[in-house]
Amino acid sequence: MKKRTLNHLPPIKQLNLTRRHFVKATSALAGAGLLSSYGLPLYAASNVDEMMKMYQSANIDWQSQKGSSIVLSGLEHPWMSSIEPLLPHFNKLTGINVQVQKQSESEYVAEVPVKLGAGNPTPDVYMVWSYGQAANAGWLESLDQHFDNPNLFDKNWYDLNDIFDSAKSFPIWNDGESYVMSITAEAQTMFANQNMLDAAGVGVPTTFDELLSSGKKLKSGDVSGVAMRSKADGTAGSWPGGGFVFSNGGVIIQDGKCMLDSPEAIEAIHYYGTILKEAGPLGVGNYHWYECLNDYMQEVCAIGMDSSNFATDIENPEKSNAAGHTTYGAMVSGPGKTAKPNMWHWMSGINSKSQNKAAAFLFLTWANSKPTCLMSSALGLATTRTSAWESEGFKSAFGAQAATAALTNLQNADGKIMKDCWFHPQSGEILTPFGIAINEVVTGTKSAEKAMTQATAKINKAIGA
Amino acid sequence: MSQFRKEKNRFIFLMLMPATILLVGLTLFPFIVSFILSFTDYSLLRPGQTKFIFLNNYIELMTTDEFWIALRVTLVFTILAVFIQVVLGVTFATLLHNENTNVSLLRTLYLLPLAITPIAATFTFRLMFNPSLGVLNYFMKLLGLEPQAWLASPNTALFSLILVDTWQWTPFILLICLGGLASLPNEPFEAAKVDGASSWQIFTKITVPMLYPFIGLALLFRSIDAFKTFDIIYVLTSGGPGILTRTLNLYAFKHGIEYLSMGYAGSIAIVMLIITIVVAQIFLRKNKLLQPKDTLK
Repeated sequence: MKKRTLNHLPPIKQLNLTRRHFVKATSALAGAGLLSSYGLPLYAASNVDEMMKMYQSANIDWQSQKGSSIVLSGLEHPWMSSIEPLLPHFNKLTGINVQVQKQSESEYVAEVPVKLGAGNPTPDVYMVWSYGQAANAGWLESLDQHFDNPNLFDKNWYDLNDIFDSAKSFPIWNDGESYVMSITAEAQTMFANQNMLDAAGVGVPTTFDELLSSGKKLKSGDVSGVAMRSKADGTAGSWPGGGFVFSNGGVIIQDGKCMLDSPEAIEAIHYYGTILKEAGPLGVGNYHWYECLNDYMQEVCAIGMDSSNFATDIENPEKSNAAGHTTYGAMVSGPGKTAKPNMWHWMSGINSKSQNKAAAFLFLTWANSKPTCLMSSALGLATTRTSAWESEGFKSAFGAQAATAALTNLQNADGKIMKDCWFHPQSGEILTPFGIAINEVVTGTKSAEKAMTQATAKINKAIGA
Repeated sequence: MSQFRKEKNRFIFLMLMPATILLVGLTLFPFIVSFILSFTDYSLLRPGQTKFIFLNNYIELMTTDEFWIALRVTLVFTILAVFIQVVLGVTFATLLHNENTNVSLLRTLYLLPLAITPIAATFTFRLMFNPSLGVLNYFMKLLGLEPQAWLASPNTALFSLILVDTWQWTPFILLICLGGLASLPNEPFEAAKVDGASSWQIFTKITVPMLYPFIGLALLFRSIDAFKTFDIIYVLTSGGPGILTRTLNLYAFKHGIEYLSMGYAGSIAIVMLIITIVVAQIFLRKNKLLQPKDTLK
C-alpha cells in the first residue's frame, strides 16, 4: 500500500502537473470564462494565488475545518493520479491535511470493505467500488445534510447544471438520499487501429456481425482482430459483456431477478464468445482490461471495446504505438437492435464512521468543483462536468474524436439497466458468476446457453429471487 | 515436590509464556472466532442482523457442486504438485550430495527460487506465460510447436500452476533431503559397494529407506502448504478457465472477501482445517514420523 501525506505546496513544475499541462488547463479555464478576469501568468506562485481566488469566490467557509486531517483511500486509477498532485492546493485553501492511501484495484476491493465492515473510522473519504453494497451496509454518510449547510456548500458556485445528468442521478439511492458524488464518466467505446483497418480494407464495424467478420479479416499471424476482457473474474468480462447484453435487447437484472438466461442475453454472449474465439488473441480467456489495452497499444490487436478512459493512454505516444491513428466509435449492436453501451461513473463518498465528516465533505466539494475538474481534465481525466469535456485542455489530452465518441456512447447508455445490476447490494454474487460464465463461453468450456442458464440459476439462488 | 523442581517448572512455564500468548492470540483466537462464525449467517453487508443458523452453512457447503469441484481441484493440484516436487527434490538431492566445488555452486543455484519473493516470481511467470509476448511460446515457436494459451486453456491451466509451484517449492524438498543425506551414516553405503550393489540398488534399497523420515516430513509440510495455495492461483488464473483451477482457498476467499459472507467462508475454512488435520494425523501415525527413534521397529 502506498501511504503518504501531501501537506506541502510544491511549485507547479514539481507536480505531475507540468507547465505544459498547466498552460493547457488554464487556457481551458479561460476558455470557459472562469479565468478571463485573471489572465493567469505562467509561474507557480502567482498561479497558485490566482487559483485560490477562484475557490475563494465561492460562498463557502473553506477554512472552517482548518487543522483537521483526513484519509483519502482509492485505487490506482486516473482519478487518484490526477487529484493527488492537486492536493497541496486543497491544503492551502482549507488548512486540511489529506493523507493518501492508494492500492491496486484487487487489493482495494478486498481490504476496504473489511475495514468499513469492522466500523473503522478511516478512510474518511473513499472511492466507492460498489454503491449498492456500501449504501446497503451503512458504510456511507448521507451528503444531503451537508449540501444544505451554507458554510460547506455554495450551490450557485458549484453549478450543478454543468454536471452530466447521469452523474447527477447515479448518487441518488433508493431512499432518495445521495451518499456519494460521481467523480468520473466513462462509457464502453470502440477503438480501432485505422492503419490496420485500411490495410485490410474494412470499415469501422457497427454490429456484432460486422465486428466478427472484420475481426476475422484483421486477424493474421501474431495480430489479433479483437481483444476484450474475459478472465474468470467478476470485474473482467462482466462489464463489456454487459454492454453486449444491453445492445442485444437484454438485461442482467430486472425486478430483482437475474435475466441472463433470456434469448437476448444468451445470443449476446454467444456473439461475444464467438468473436473472441475466432478473432481474439491466443489466451484471451485470461485477459483483463490491462492485457486488452496493452495488446492494442502494442499494435498486436486491431480493435478493442472497453472504457472510453483508455483514450488517454492510447493517445500517449510514449506508451502507445497506436497513438494518432486510432478511430473511436460507437458501441456495436445485435441484429436489428439499438446499441446500449455499458457505462460507469466512479463515485466517492464519506465513511459514515468518519470523525471528520465536514472536512471530508469540503474535500469532495473541492475535488468535484469546476476549477478542479478543469485542471484534472487537462491531465486527461474524464470528469463529470460538461465544461471540462468541452475544454481544449481535455480534448488535447484525451483526443477530440475520442471525447466525441465517449460522449455519444455516454448518451446512448441506459443508466437504469446498468444500475439494476451494478448497484445491487449483492452485485459481487451477480457479477462473479456472470464473469465466469463469459469465460466459460470464450474458452469453449461450455456453450452460451448452458453457461448463462447455470449462471442465472446460481445468481437467482444467491440473491433470493 | 522439591524446591528445585518447582523452580524448574516455573522457569519452563515463564519461558513458554510468550510463545503461548502469541499462539493463542494469533492462531487459537482467530480459529475460535472462525469456528463460531461458521455457525452463523454473519455478513458484513448486514451489520447487526447476524443469526445463529447451526449447521446450515455446512449443509449448504456439502450440497453445492462448486464445493466438490473446488475440493477435487485442490486435491489434484496438491497430489500432483507434491508428487513431482518430491521426486525431483529427492533426485536432485542425491545428485548434489557430493563434496565438489561445482556441486556446491549448483546447490546454491537450485535453492534460489526459495529466496525470491513469491509474488514477484508469480508476476514474472505471468509474463512468461503470456501467449503473445511470453518467452514460453517464443521457445515453442523456435521448436516448431504450436504456441499455447497456457493459463487460459482448460488443458494447460492447472498444469501451468503446478509448474510454477514446482519451480518454487522443489528447492524446499531438496534442502530437507540434503540435510537428511548429510546426517546418514556412511557404513551401509560402503558395505553395499563392497557387496557389489549398483548405484540404482543403493539408491532404492538404502538411500531412500534411510532418508524416508526426512522425505516424509517434507512431504507432509509441502502437502499442507500446497493444499492452501492461494497467491499463485489468484494472480495467474483467478480460478479460471471457468472454475477449473478454483481451489478451496480461492472459494473461501470469494465468499469471504468478495461476497463478504463471513459465516459461510468460515465454514469452508473449518472444513479445510479438518481435512488437513485428519490427513496429517493419519499420515503421521501410519508412518510414526514423530515418535522417538527407539520405538521404531
